Amino acid sequence: MLGPRNPSDYRNWEKGCGPCHPYQLGRLQGSLMYTNTGMIRNIQLTWEGEDGKLYATRGSDTFDAAGKPLKLKPVAELNNLSGELYRKFCSRCHIGAEVGDSTGSSHAGGCAACHFPVNDDATYTGSDREMRGRNPYSASHRMEPLPPNQVCARCHNRSGRIALSYQGLYDGNNGHVPTRNGQSGPVPLSGNRNAVHIAPDIHAAAGMECIDCHTSRDIMGDGYSYQNLYHQVEIACEDCHGGTAPPAYRVITGDGDEAVRESRSYRMQMRPGMAMVLTAKGRAYSNVFVKDGKVQVLGKRSGKIFTAKVVTGTPEHAIVGHKRLECHSCHSRTVVQCYGCHTTYDLRENGMDFITGEETPGAFSETEDYRMLYPFPLAVNQRGRISAVTPGCQTFISVIGEEGNKLRDEDVARFKGKRQLRFAPFYSHNTGKKAVGCRECHANPRFLGFGQHVIEGADIMGTLMCDKCPDKPLDGFLTMDDGRVRAFAAITREHSRPLNSGEVRRVFKVNLCITCHDKARDKDAIYAKKLEYRALDDTVHKRLLSRP
Amino acid sequence: MRWTTLYISACLVALNIGLGHAAENCRVCHRVEMAGAHRSLACLSCHVSESATVANPAAATGEAAPCNSCHRGFAAIFDHVMATRSRERAFADRSFTKVDPNFYRKNCNSCHLKGCLDCHQGGGHRIGTASADLCLNCHRGYFVGNDYFGRAPREDSLRYQRGKRFQGEYYLTMRPDIHAEKGLTCGDCHSMQSLAKGQKSAKGCTDCHRISSRPVEHRIRAHLEKLECYACHSAWAPQEYGSFFLRFTDSPTREDFWLKWDETSGEYLRSAYLRKQDSPPLGLNARGRVSPIRPQFIAYYTHIVRDKAEGRENQLLAAEWKAYFPHTIRRGTVMCDDCHDSPRRFLLESSQDRIYRLEEDGMTLGSFWDQRGQTVINGAFLPEARYRRLSARTNAFQKGYLEKWQTFVNRVDGSSSR
Repeated sequence: MLGPRNPSDYRNWEKGCGPCHPYQLGRLQGSLMYTNTGMIRNIQLTWEGEDGKLYATRGSDTFDAAGKPLKLKPVAELNNLSGELYRKFCSRCHIGAEVGDSTGSSHAGGCAACHFPVNDDATYTGSDREMRGRNPYSASHRMEPLPPNQVCARCHNRSGRIALSYQGLYDGNNGHVPTRNGQSGPVPLSGNRNAVHIAPDIHAAAGMECIDCHTSRDIMGDGYSYQNLYHQVEIACEDCHGGTAPPAYRVITGDGDEAVRESRSYRMQMRPGMAMVLTAKGRAYSNVFVKDGKVQVLGKRSGKIFTAKVVTGTPEHAIVGHKRLECHSCHSRTVVQCYGCHTTYDLRENGMDFITGEETPGAFSETEDYRMLYPFPLAVNQRGRISAVTPGCQTFISVIGEEGNKLRDEDVARFKGKRQLRFAPFYSHNTGKKAVGCRECHANPRFLGFGQHVIEGADIMGTLMCDKCPDKPLDGFLTMDDGRVRAFAAITREHSRPLNSGEVRRVFKVNLCITCHDKARDKDAIYAKKLEYRALDDTVHKRLLSRP
Repeated sequence: MRWTTLYISACLVALNIGLGHAAENCRVCHRVEMAGAHRSLACLSCHVSESATVANPAAATGEAAPCNSCHRGFAAIFDHVMATRSRERAFADRSFTKVDPNFYRKNCNSCHLKGCLDCHQGGGHRIGTASADLCLNCHRGYFVGNDYFGRAPREDSLRYQRGKRFQGEYYLTMRPDIHAEKGLTCGDCHSMQSLAKGQKSAKGCTDCHRISSRPVEHRIRAHLEKLECYACHSAWAPQEYGSFFLRFTDSPTREDFWLKWDETSGEYLRSAYLRKQDSPPLGLNARGRVSPIRPQFIAYYTHIVRDKAEGRENQLLAAEWKAYFPHTIRRGTVMCDDCHDSPRRFLLESSQDRIYRLEEDGMTLGSFWDQRGQTVINGAFLPEARYRRLSARTNAFQKGYLEKWQTFVNRVDGSSSR
């Protein structure tokens, strides 16, 4: 046995876990949760821009999505604000880092981050008397092959906050109330934050855990190094619920099948002959199968069987104009939106560089303008589909020099050639069965990115404004002035963009029909083809509209 | 006759001033520079007499008698709410006084009218007309005033205490009231005469504005008969959902509540569960018209003694709403569905639409947007049956709706009507 206190730490895992689990370790070493390449690249995009190189938490040789060798440079060599921000602010949520002093956010380093969970105090309470009460340590020596939600929530409680939203927690407003036992409450989080309860995701409410949807390849990688999480994640809503086509599946033909091997620790094992549902990348799930004509999902830890409703062909999912919509555009119950992220880098103070382990001049702090849950804006994402978007990021950068002088004051970084804020396509993980209503979306310009507003003639006038540019809404990216629609912020990711004026007009125009034809789910035939607005002038409509 | 009376009055005032100057010795010691409207007044015109000098002639305690001797009738302002704070006292009495008998004195007493000089800037010797900034000394934070100039309170957490500051408080930048943009200030509607009479304002909307029949909304009789103008034309409103007063006794963990505070905070810290600034919910005001309403206050109390909650934690002491006039007027409005298809706006949110789960966090109420367990102190919530009627897609409604959207859509991107 190896000597170090954590044999699974990145310094030791080649000899610790690797000899028995080479397939898993090999994948993990190129995965985003270890490299953080996507995070670092996105910070660069927000701050100084890309420099043509790809960075990782530690330098490594890996393979790109096409299988070609790829060299990732160590982020310690990124000597600018992006590098500093990552190393001093973001890198604690990297699977190689150990964190033992953070309320709700402590975790071990390496494989143990997920497979040897810590408790809230990061204190050992297992059977080894020598270890009992020591901190920071995993809660016990019991290996957890199937990590529970709390493990994911140790890191995924910031930025997109998907682990919070999924469980029905919200850390916006941050008012520390209602109190709990006389302390900041009701759910304390790291970084002086608190969370309150909101409606959980419908899957969480049903008893599904993060790993019941997310495959091990989503989480630990598939052997290739990607530059963004949406390339590594292989699952989609349509895999289980169907889209334009019903879910696809393949039958297990032998005992060596990956689904059989992966399900070894599940409450029920997959067997040859089972029809395994395929992910969006065409690989088989290890816990989702077709049985008796139904898509069934096995709770990996719970053993519960969940039946997924397939929506392919149902009238409300066959509306002609909605073919471009992501499921979560309508089915997100809330989408967490942080408006105005004001980051200050102060050279008068020292900050801990969690990558090099040294304190160096320059400390970061952060304030925020406003948080929103609902409604949420929509825009075109990297797949050319209409998606919920969230600020990503509205970063305003200030740099304070050693003498206290402001070297940069609330700067907006350049993106795609101009100074502009950014929104990012985003699935909030707070899904509801009930969709956003037709009228609710079509008749409310907030869903298109105009922010809260009033409408005056052909002007949509925002009411919550940006401090820095008081003529622009803080909580949106579109303005309409005398009928002209303009975007003043970008949507990150390739091919993504705000809706254009033609699309905005089309969305609004549908209200001429929806106000009477509001029963899409009752098979109102007008939505099965392109809307014909001239019908409003036909004799039927004229007669109906002329009634007193 | 009227001109004759004015002439005689003016002569008497002039005579009085002249006599005062001749008789008084004040300025031998008090080398006071006078400026403003009162610059030619004798000292004793205000300070009354050399033997029984009134140190602060404008003090409310003396009903500002010297001021009132010229500005007849204006002392009546001290009988009204700005001086008596009767509404705030009554609120404290029916809520926090139960748990802290001195709550009003500790938390509410700093904003009452102490004298004429509270509003009339420059001090007594350089007196001037009341300026908006002085109104905002009291009408700060959540209270109507800063909204007019495009400012809304930020969340209380220090994470959100940033940005533009006014009179020591941080505010979100909002679109100001159109009247403020055009240069009108508080006193243009809230004249001294109206305040002395205990009226909210000297002018209502229709004293200046003729209701045009061009917008389709103005041609709907029910709108004109049943709605206040500002039910539609209030562009936004600060809304505070869940006003927590946390009282600390011997509790060092107070520091862990990362909340704004100042030297006036005393033993209390304040924090809202949630602040919003969008279109205000609607209800009925005292005259039965549809009006914006807002929480004032949904009040919770926790007493933390030696870092532990004493008694009931997060005790709901009031769930009160108030019909009011947000000073955020714009020509524009929201569209039809924001009222006619918006149960949440009338506090009729269905349980399946609830986002915030207050009961899970021990907050007693099912939802802030559920009328049950809550009250409007100066009006009423809109009855559910009435909401159902107004949300019915009748033929008359559909015609108005189509006209509204057709007019709007036709102008988007210069598109044609079809």
